[in-house]
Amino acid sequence: MENVIIVRYCEIHLKGNNRGFFERVFVENMEKALKGLKHEIRKQSGRYVIEGFNSQNTDLMVGKLKNVFGVHTLSVAMKVNSSLDEIFEAVKLVAPLSGTFKVDTHRADKKFPLNSMQINAEIGGRLLDLNNALTVDVHTPQSIIGIDLRENGTSLVFGNLINGVGGMPVGTAGKGMLLISGGIDSPVAGYMMAKRGMKLECIHFHSYPYTNMQAREKVEELAKVLAEYSCGTVLHVVKVTHIQEEIHKKCNGDYMVTLLRRFMMRIAERLAKKCGAQCLITGESLGQVASQTIEGMTSSGSVVENLPILRPLCGFDKNEIIARSRAMGAYDISIRPYEDCCTVFLPRHPVIHPKMADVLEEESKLDVQALLDEAFSTLETIKI
Amino acid sequence: MIYLDNAATTKPDEECLRSAEQYLTEYFYNPSALYAEGYTLHKEITKARSEILNTIANDKDFQLIFTSCGTEADNMAVFGGGRRGNVVTTYGEHSAIFSSVNELKERGVEVRFAKLNADGSVNVDSLISLIDEKTSLVTIIHVNNETGAINDVNGIARAVKAKNCRTLFHSDGVQAYGKIPFRMDKNIDMYSISAHKIGGLKGTGALIKRKSLAIRPLICGGGQENGLRSGTENVFGIKMFECAAVKKYSSLERNLAHVRQLNNYIRENIDRELFTVLSAPNASPYILSVVAHGVRGEIILHEADDKGLIIGTGSACSSNDKMRYSRVIFACGVDEKSADGVLRLSFSAETSVDEVKEAVKILNETVEHRRKIME
Repeated sequence: MENVIIVRYCEIHLKGNNRGFFERVFVENMEKALKGLKHEIRKQSGRYVIEGFNSQNTDLMVGKLKNVFGVHTLSVAMKVNSSLDEIFEAVKLVAPLSGTFKVDTHRADKKFPLNSMQINAEIGGRLLDLNNALTVDVHTPQSIIGIDLRENGTSLVFGNLINGVGGMPVGTAGKGMLLISGGIDSPVAGYMMAKRGMKLECIHFHSYPYTNMQAREKVEELAKVLAEYSCGTVLHVVKVTHIQEEIHKKCNGDYMVTLLRRFMMRIAERLAKKCGAQCLITGESLGQVASQTIEGMTSSGSVVENLPILRPLCGFDKNEIIARSRAMGAYDISIRPYEDCCTVFLPRHPVIHPKMADVLEEESKLDVQALLDEAFSTLETIKI
Repeated sequence: MIYLDNAATTKPDEECLRSAEQYLTEYFYNPSALYAEGYTLHKEITKARSEILNTIANDKDFQLIFTSCGTEADNMAVFGGGRRGNVVTTYGEHSAIFSSVNELKERGVEVRFAKLNADGSVNVDSLISLIDEKTSLVTIIHVNNETGAINDVNGIARAVKAKNCRTLFHSDGVQAYGKIPFRMDKNIDMYSISAHKIGGLKGTGALIKRKSLAIRPLICGGGQENGLRSGTENVFGIKMFECAAVKKYSSLERNLAHVRQLNNYIRENIDRELFTVLSAPNASPYILSVVAHGVRGEIILHEADDKGLIIGTGSACSSNDKMRYSRVIFACGVDEKSADGVLRLSFSAETSVDEVKEAVKILNETVEHRRKIME
């Protein structure tokens, strides 16, 4: 009896002629997740079976696989010869101790003497004889025992399904440049785009000496959490201290965040083009803070000339974002109390509904190009 | 690099490192082992215990229990002494005490906080007024780790006992030990010390306690330290502690005079347009707290670091206002604006006058420059 893992995928089966591309990327991503662990991945009629691994690593492998985008469900199964006695021995190991159950058989091996319904009845009957705390409920059972009779003379027996993270395989939907801060929202925004198959690079802005090394380390850790889902990422770090100082010195302080975000967008777009990213991603949520009003987004978005800006959290409440942050394992890092650059020189009354004419007038007091070039020259890149 | 954050930790004393190194390499045995090699180490620990204890207390009335740090010693005192009724302390205590008493509160013990004076020392009248027949423990820091204010813990302990002779008195002496002249009198029941503030190693501390006082251990196991702190002894750290303590106490007055000279130089030469000195003139000269006007302490800390000067800060860069400022500095009555600019300069006997001169220059220049940008 050997342990195997059955992996079922999400939307890939809806694909037409390009289905092979999605499947190939999906397998590559599973291989990356299982790197360093001995295993073999085999494709079997719309799903994958992972075999040949050390059974002691089963939980570890399931933990890694369920975070691979594209995985719908997983099952840890036992592989046995297709005889009723051997199948029943495996069923005894996965069967619940009490409550309701049903047996659900798929018979690919049409030469097997019993059909699916007969196997369900036979195995279910034996289980009832063995344990009188069990009862059958074929409509809403508490537990489902799955049996797959394969054509090669072996069968897979498994218990309840383990949910994966869903989505599409990362690498099937282009590449985006995520503006990542040390907060709760931006890692979630990155997660959501990666979930739809997008590869990510991240850009972070810091204001040393107004911010500290712990704040930067926090962002590196957030990028690492994100990288577990996005099959790795790259973190670019840019210093915007001088930009903030110049805005503080020359412009109306109430426009600090509005103007700074325009600089950030310009730097991110320039970097995205250099890295081959096809869009910018931000963690903005409509109305959450002063700079995230529709006017604020219009102001910051208007400087991006040739790329779309994706804001996957725009319609989410903070509580919904926090729930997603917790689920992806970023929340405890995000709430560490280190300032990111946005809160330095924070005005007491920031402009909430900036008018473009006013923004442009304030910005005209700055040598935008020189400040952009200077900031870009501080670029550091870290492979996560 | 000029290092003025000696209240956080000190550079390990090289002479002591060399002399104790043998306990890492050649004499690695377990001091509890019955063979001669182990017993020899047991004797070495006994000697270290006696040497360290005798620097500030007599071994007739007091005993010393080695711990893993000052924090552990403080925890032993709080959880050992404050088991019922109420506990009296201040908002000016180190987190090792403050967090411990808050945990006691969770366990149903009432915690009362006495007022601080503006320099960070405890207001004794306020403290004594809080003590009643149910007060099980009073714990007061000896030298305030942020302002350097010195509490007369012998005098306070005497006053506490006069109000309720059954109340236990503990003091966190981590910033006082090996730095200012002091001997424990019998009214003090427990006193915490730490090695790495005086040239010893991190991971070595001790609780000195009255011999007749029975407290329960935090850590149980093989019965080391008379059953009060189990765990195989850190012989290397203990021998380093012994060496550093003996050295410090052999030159205590000389070191104090030297450090006072450093402290005075800064008080006299730091630009009073840019800074206010927070520490009182009679504070421990080892710690000097200043407020930079209009610039956040952490910004100066980073810029000074880039220029080769390491200092401490009384505030942390945090978007959470409640967490940004030092609880201790606030308890001294400092306003929010000033609390933002608190810097802590702390010295050791090894700090030179030239280093302090350069430090003052860096601080004056840095704050002046940053103020121009930020105003």
